[in-house]
Amino acid sequence: MYRWKKKIAPYLFVLPNLIIFGIFIVFPALFGFYVSFTEWDVLTSPEFIGLGNFIKLFQSAEFWTILSRTLIYVFSVVPITFGLSMVLAIILDRNIKAKGFFRAIFYLPTMLSFIVIGVSWRWILGNNFGILNYLLDLAGMAPVNWLTNATTATIMVIFATVWARVGYFMVMFIAGLQGIPGVYYEAAKIDGASKWQQFRHITFPLLKPTSLVVVVLSTIQAFKMFGLIKVMTTGGPGDSTTYLVQEIYQQAFQVGDMGYASAMSVMLFLILGLLTIVQFKVSNRGGNAYE
Amino acid sequence: MRKNLFITITALLLVGLMAVPAFAQETVLDFVWFSDGVEGEVLKDIIDDYQEENPDVEFNIIEVPYNELNTKIKTMVAGGNPPDLARVSNPGELSSALLNLNDSIGQDYLDNFVESTHPYVMVDGEMLAVPIDVTANGIIYNKDYFEAAGIDVPDTEEELDDLWTWEEWANALEKVVEESNARYGLAYDYSPHRWSTLLYQAGGSFFSKDWSEVTINSPEGERAVEFFVELHDRNIIPESIWLGGENPNTLFRSGLTAMHFAGNWMLTNYRDNIENFDWGVAYMPKGKIRSSVVGGKFVAGFKDSDNKEAAVDFLKYFSSQKVNAKFCEESLFLSARTDNSKLNYSFGSDMFEIFSNELAVSPPEAGSDWAYNEAMSRIYDDIRQNVVKSIQKEITPKEAVENIEELAESEIEDMEN
Repeated sequence: MYRWKKKIAPYLFVLPNLIIFGIFIVFPALFGFYVSFTEWDVLTSPEFIGLGNFIKLFQSAEFWTILSRTLIYVFSVVPITFGLSMVLAIILDRNIKAKGFFRAIFYLPTMLSFIVIGVSWRWILGNNFGILNYLLDLAGMAPVNWLTNATTATIMVIFATVWARVGYFMVMFIAGLQGIPGVYYEAAKIDGASKWQQFRHITFPLLKPTSLVVVVLSTIQAFKMFGLIKVMTTGGPGDSTTYLVQEIYQQAFQVGDMGYASAMSVMLFLILGLLTIVQFKVSNRGGNAYE
Repeated sequence: MRKNLFITITALLLVGLMAVPAFAQETVLDFVWFSDGVEGEVLKDIIDDYQEENPDVEFNIIEVPYNELNTKIKTMVAGGNPPDLARVSNPGELSSALLNLNDSIGQDYLDNFVESTHPYVMVDGEMLAVPIDVTANGIIYNKDYFEAAGIDVPDTEEELDDLWTWEEWANALEKVVEESNARYGLAYDYSPHRWSTLLYQAGGSFFSKDWSEVTINSPEGERAVEFFVELHDRNIIPESIWLGGENPNTLFRSGLTAMHFAGNWMLTNYRDNIENFDWGVAYMPKGKIRSSVVGGKFVAGFKDSDNKEAAVDFLKYFSSQKVNAKFCEESLFLSARTDNSKLNYSFGSDMFEIFSNELAVSPPEAGSDWAYNEAMSRIYDDIRQNVVKSIQKEITPKEAVENIEELAESEIEDMEN
């Protein structure tokens, strides 16, 4: 009886989480996969159409335009977030004055919801009511169309995303840096290594596990960025900041084509899965830096 | 002591259980609602009156922003928990979920309502909603700015023979910016419905009257896009509305624009929120012809609702002549009922007359296009995207109307299959 209890106990402990995970993640994911093979307007029963939605997707020029726009956004956000959070972590890992204050300041945006961040940046960058244009006006400068020009709107969306997430990844890098034994740097100094050489041959390789997590997480988050963009630009001007998740929402809830939207979601899942596998493969190449 | 406690708890439980059937007899109607102005408050008064006669009916008002209306309803329906009633602007978009009122209310009931509302509520021979009020697109202007600029704005019937042409209108708006504190001439709602007013004024339409043909790709359609782009190029309309999603109401209310292209539903909002300047409603300019665009608000029941009977009963009450008059008078709406065409508004009767006159001269296509709701809902966003791309100079006005035509034809083919 005791052995049986001992065997079953761990499963009972994880059971609540498994139930929640099953109801809110596994079931909707499987249902979404099923819906991608149907024509469904939400109001009536889904009708099975096989690969119809996927064929429509691959034949749609709009889908490929949105996908390439999404890739530009993701491959801008991820390297900038990665580089900036690492630099901030290295600076704030040193013994500088008010270290705790600066860490808190950079971390603060990650505690805000994306909706709040989007609304805030919209108010800062608005053409007529924006604080930034008001300040430019006070300084005698011409206002800038931050969010009504396709190029500046894209740059501002990338900027706001990086601003929102950099603090979170900075904390991960700080944890990674604190895990590197100080003796490595002492030995390097004795051997006459410069600061750059220390970074290149000690810090960067030993941060590899943290770097992988940062790249994977920031890639997934960037692909899934919805709320911030929805309230900041509503995908505009025109559709210049409409990315894959915005289009999925648009197709599902505005157009009412849930099957097509689900097919796009399946594509997004496959892209993310593929990218994550590639990132793990690349990271595993060269073995463990500690060895 | 313990025994007493046990008896007390048991007694309380028994009372509780006995009370359950009493509560269970109460009908609770979930009513999805959106508000442009004060109509939500008026609805609550009307519900109070209704409940005096029907004390066993409770209402759960689910207030949502207009932009989220359809998403909310669709999510509720998909979740197997549809509302009992909903205020909608386009019943056709939700047709498969709505309650057929043919038997419970009867199509003859529609004879009480203006004809332009009939195509909105009749889908495939089924009456799916009851009309409540009609809307008219129109222009609201800042009297102080136009007076400062010395520009006379046509806002009386005597001036109907001397309305602005499009070019005169654009020039007047440019002049008012030069001569007053206005930063821009015109705030123009970010809406294909509002944009289409120019299309009808140009003499064009989206579809032929019998919906057999897509007609947007015409010199008139092209001219409507071209003029709208010109208004942006001349900085008369701030591009922050159509390209940046800035709220036109805020721009007008804050005194940044001299005029707002919206409709009669804005009157209560401006009555309650504008204190710094005097404002009024003007007659719209004419292109080839004069035109406004009719719209409407409807209330519908749901076929999978648990309280269909109670919902239909309230629909009849809410759309009855007396209650409808109260709703429209206090909300400052144009009634959809023919017997409520003359109402005693406490504010702005002269403004309502302008909106009514604008509707009276609108071509039939301005009603029939938007009543073709299944097709319009499918191309609505594409119309907006193509107009935006023209403003951005990504495509020409000609290409915009060609694109809309192509998309409309493909969607109609899709619908027919």
